[in-house]
Amino acid sequence: MKEKLLELKTKALKELESVTERSDIERLRRRYLGRKGLLTLLLKRLPELPKEERPPIGRLVNQVKEELTGRFQAVTDSLTTNDVKEVSAFDVTLPGRRTPLGHLHPITQITEEICNVFLKLGFRVVQGPEVELDYYNFEALNMPKNHPARDMQDTFYISDNVVLRTHTSPIQIRIMESKSPPVGIVAPGKVYRPDSDISHTPMFHQVEGLLVDKGVSFGDLKGTLTTFVHQMFGPDVDLRFRPSFFPFTEPSAEVDIRCVVCQGKGCRVCSYSGWLEILGSGMVDPEVFKVVGYDPESISGFAFGMGVERIAMLKFGLDDIRIFFENDIRFLRQF
Amino acid sequence: MRISLNWLKEFVDIDQTPAEVAELLTMAGLEVEGLERRAQDFSDVIVARILDIKPHPRADRLSICQLDAGREEASVVCGAPNISKGDLVPLALPGTALPNGMVIKESRIRGEISYGMLLAEDEMGLTDDHTGIMTLPDDLRPGQSLSEAMDLEDSILEVSLSPNRIDCASIVGIAREIGALTKKKVSMLEIHTEESENLIEDLADVTILDSQGCPRYTAGLVENVKIGPSPFWMRYRLHVSGVRSINNVVDITNYVLMELGQPLHAFDYHRLAQGRIVVKRAENNQIFTTLDEQPRYLDDQMLVICDGREPVALAGIMGGLNSEITENTTTVLIESAYFDPTMIRRSSKELSLTTEASYRFERGIDIEGVDRALKRSLMLISELAGGDIAKGIIDCYPRPWSPPKITLRTDKANKILGTSISTEQMADHLSSLNMAVRIVKQDQMEVSPPSFRVDITREADLIEEVARLFGYNNIPVTLPAIRPAEEHIPEFALRDRIKSMLVGIGFSEIITYSFISPKSADLIGAGQRSDLRSFVKLLNPLSQDQSVMRTSLIHGLLSTVRLNSLRGQNDIRVFEWGKVYIKGDGELPQEKQVLAALITGLGSGQEWYQEPRETDFFDIKGVAENTLEALGIEKAEYKRNSPKEGLDPDEYARIFYAGAEIGAIGKVSKDVLEGYGVEKKAYILELYIETLLSLVVWAKRFTPLAKFPSIRRDISIIVSQSVESAMIVGIVKKMGNGLVESVDIFDVYEGKQIAPQEKALALRVSYRSKERTLTDDEVNKIHEGIIEEIGRLTGGRLREGH
Repeated sequence: MKEKLLELKTKALKELESVTERSDIERLRRRYLGRKGLLTLLLKRLPELPKEERPPIGRLVNQVKEELTGRFQAVTDSLTTNDVKEVSAFDVTLPGRRTPLGHLHPITQITEEICNVFLKLGFRVVQGPEVELDYYNFEALNMPKNHPARDMQDTFYISDNVVLRTHTSPIQIRIMESKSPPVGIVAPGKVYRPDSDISHTPMFHQVEGLLVDKGVSFGDLKGTLTTFVHQMFGPDVDLRFRPSFFPFTEPSAEVDIRCVVCQGKGCRVCSYSGWLEILGSGMVDPEVFKVVGYDPESISGFAFGMGVERIAMLKFGLDDIRIFFENDIRFLRQF
Repeated sequence: MRISLNWLKEFVDIDQTPAEVAELLTMAGLEVEGLERRAQDFSDVIVARILDIKPHPRADRLSICQLDAGREEASVVCGAPNISKGDLVPLALPGTALPNGMVIKESRIRGEISYGMLLAEDEMGLTDDHTGIMTLPDDLRPGQSLSEAMDLEDSILEVSLSPNRIDCASIVGIAREIGALTKKKVSMLEIHTEESENLIEDLADVTILDSQGCPRYTAGLVENVKIGPSPFWMRYRLHVSGVRSINNVVDITNYVLMELGQPLHAFDYHRLAQGRIVVKRAENNQIFTTLDEQPRYLDDQMLVICDGREPVALAGIMGGLNSEITENTTTVLIESAYFDPTMIRRSSKELSLTTEASYRFERGIDIEGVDRALKRSLMLISELAGGDIAKGIIDCYPRPWSPPKITLRTDKANKILGTSISTEQMADHLSSLNMAVRIVKQDQMEVSPPSFRVDITREADLIEEVARLFGYNNIPVTLPAIRPAEEHIPEFALRDRIKSMLVGIGFSEIITYSFISPKSADLIGAGQRSDLRSFVKLLNPLSQDQSVMRTSLIHGLLSTVRLNSLRGQNDIRVFEWGKVYIKGDGELPQEKQVLAALITGLGSGQEWYQEPRETDFFDIKGVAENTLEALGIEKAEYKRNSPKEGLDPDEYARIFYAGAEIGAIGKVSKDVLEGYGVEKKAYILELYIETLLSLVVWAKRFTPLAKFPSIRRDISIIVSQSVESAMIVGIVKKMGNGLVESVDIFDVYEGKQIAPQEKALALRVSYRSKERTLTDDEVNKIHEGIIEEIGRLTGGRLREGH
């Protein structure tokens, strides 16, 4: 009896070792430890033994039963931790504990992107007032009162002599008044014009640029702005310089890029021209140099200005400028 | 400016396609913004002769026309009154698409078959005439394509002119430009007039009393004219140029304006008292009725044309009702003059009256072309309205124009452009623009621009012309010498730190309009003398709601909250970095940089790991503390020392640092929230950037790490609720003999276990010495002293069991 018991135990442990599936353990458990299992069968034959042998064998049966039960449990546990498919007590897919992030306004992001290109080229960022003297906004920029060029920009007036700046160009004058050449600046900021529709808001943003030094040429203007366009829109974007007019630069040029929407085939965004106007530029007019006391015979320079919203709209694929200033958080979160 | 390509071709040969012409002009600085095709898709409109007209059996107003359409006969139902047997008319065969999108079909009109449709001029987009079916010249053949027979195929270029290129505001001007760009000769019209025996001097007289305002005045006279409609070709050209047809004489003045760029005016000679023209200043408060039947209030800075008695025209802007051409006019006096640009511009602005004439005069027309345009109009009048041209013209031109001489240095031009164009090449370019060029030295020339190029007065202007004709895109690309940027700008560094801090803790940036409603001051509850009322006002706002510059960012924040909550978004964290504008004594207001942030809705949302919690005061205070820490400011004080506009009088604090007020935080008061239609509680932070800037220390210094251990002691103390925790922390620090390293408040209790007006504060004090290890005895002694002092100063006592 005792030998049989020990033999059964050895056999059970051996079989248990080779088990890999939980269902197999269960089957084994039933075979050895179940109500009609081998151990129970042995136990049922206990009365056949002589009376004095029964207690030690009884103890042994319980001992074996306990040992086997323990082993079975241990093997079951080890299989459980390895078997993810069956048991998922830990859900790694639950969202993490976090503080939601905020977002910078898209206009801020594009302004930074623009300024960073010029910072790398050695330009410095400066600012100027938004409520500006007529003198800086117009007169010093070669637009005296009663000059037709003033029709190019509708203006918000505060008084006869004070306006909301219509462009960032007054900074050119302010910086040249305060400093002798060389000057290399970019100036981002808000500007204002009384206009409101799908492509105009009464407030918008520009970045102005100015470089004045000995020997600065139109070729340098082209090089600088070509670098800018390639950094901003990609190295393969085609661009062209087109004659234009600004009272404070001469020669003046508009810079067009090949339409980023249709790649130049012609679409609604580029009015079917294949080109998108993105900035105005030119060589600083000698009259402007005279106003700030620079000598146009010894130095020269170029200036440029661009609308941030326009560039942002092109880059983000927006068609209504007004959405920038609604500040719907669903809009802001996209950037 | 709308330019007919066919009209252009009268002046210059054009081999290019319309699109190529557009490109050519655009790349020369005359931006073509639109290209319209005319009569290019109607080969199905043919010439037809009316063989017979019969009344429609079932409709009084309609008739049935039997037509010879060349190869076939056709029957068409028509309602126009102006047709008669034998007329040549345009017939749109079934399948023709008209410019307005309508497609002609064979149809039955009240039972009668109509094989197509007879067309009026406007239906073909040729003019705006809809008085009847277009009648065609008799030399056409039935069956011919109409557009071929009448050479109607045309393209209209929409050219956007910059203010400096007024010389291009005419067909001739654009033709000259194309000629220069394509090296083609521009043909000038031959002008010849047959004059009668009647001398103009015997009939009319011109006196200029203000020769500064009017440097040149010419006049011509045509007798026995017949006022009537203009021929089709003229009406067509005016129509595509955007000019309404009136009658032949008026149309001719407009036609010459479009063709040559010279504004003309036609007077009914018999309505001019004494046949006189006097050019002089108007009188102050003089009232004059212009052609458009509007009374105009004049002043003595404006120029008027008078007859022997009174004003008959507003010089350079618009004629008067009292001398206009009517169908009874038989003799016309044509004015062609040059008026001072500044004077015309001022008057036009003053009167808010802009016309094709004023637009040109204020930019400067060709003073030398004044008489030529006059003769051109006289020639056309005698051709189209009959009449006899009086002998000679009157030409008052006291100081004739002499060409300016401008020096151009080759070297200077090449330096500015970054090119190496030769003197000869430059001279060549300039000559093609009708400039007289004389090379005076090897690298220097003397240039006289033609009289119509009023924009060219300086060397810089010539350099631009050289660049334009050389081609901007042929100028080599170079890079300027790169130099490192000079200085670091503290405001930007501060801005970037604050913004990245806020974005990192969940705030999104907003940008709102700088102009707001003046009511905002009332809504925010500003005192009568508050800065919030020191508005900078716009003289011409777009609306009352955007009529003053903001004095606070709160308006923008709350408006943003409202907009978002209307769209169902209630949990909001936003900030704006922007200026406020405070009107002061100076001409320009103070522009102050402010940061404002707002929280509303849930302070922390409902998540699987946390319960939702409404925002409260300490959320915004945490934001303030975080932001200031990012700037290296850790010892700011929060004082409730004087109520803050717009904020709840209980839950607000002004923020002080190093003696200066640097900002404020608080709960937006209930009234303000109501005013903005915001339902949920909202908390605001404001930081005054200029003040902060002067306090931030950018250079950081290392403090050696502590070498000796610290000893911690907790205090739990019950004090009156009115005692601020900062006072207790202050006492701890003061009594700490310099050994208190930190004090943290780790619990605040108000409730059942203590009296209603009391609170229990639990503090953790950390003691540490830089020189040695502290002993328990030493710390206990200080600690007891602290507790005693708290008791003495605040009446507080230790909380039992703690």
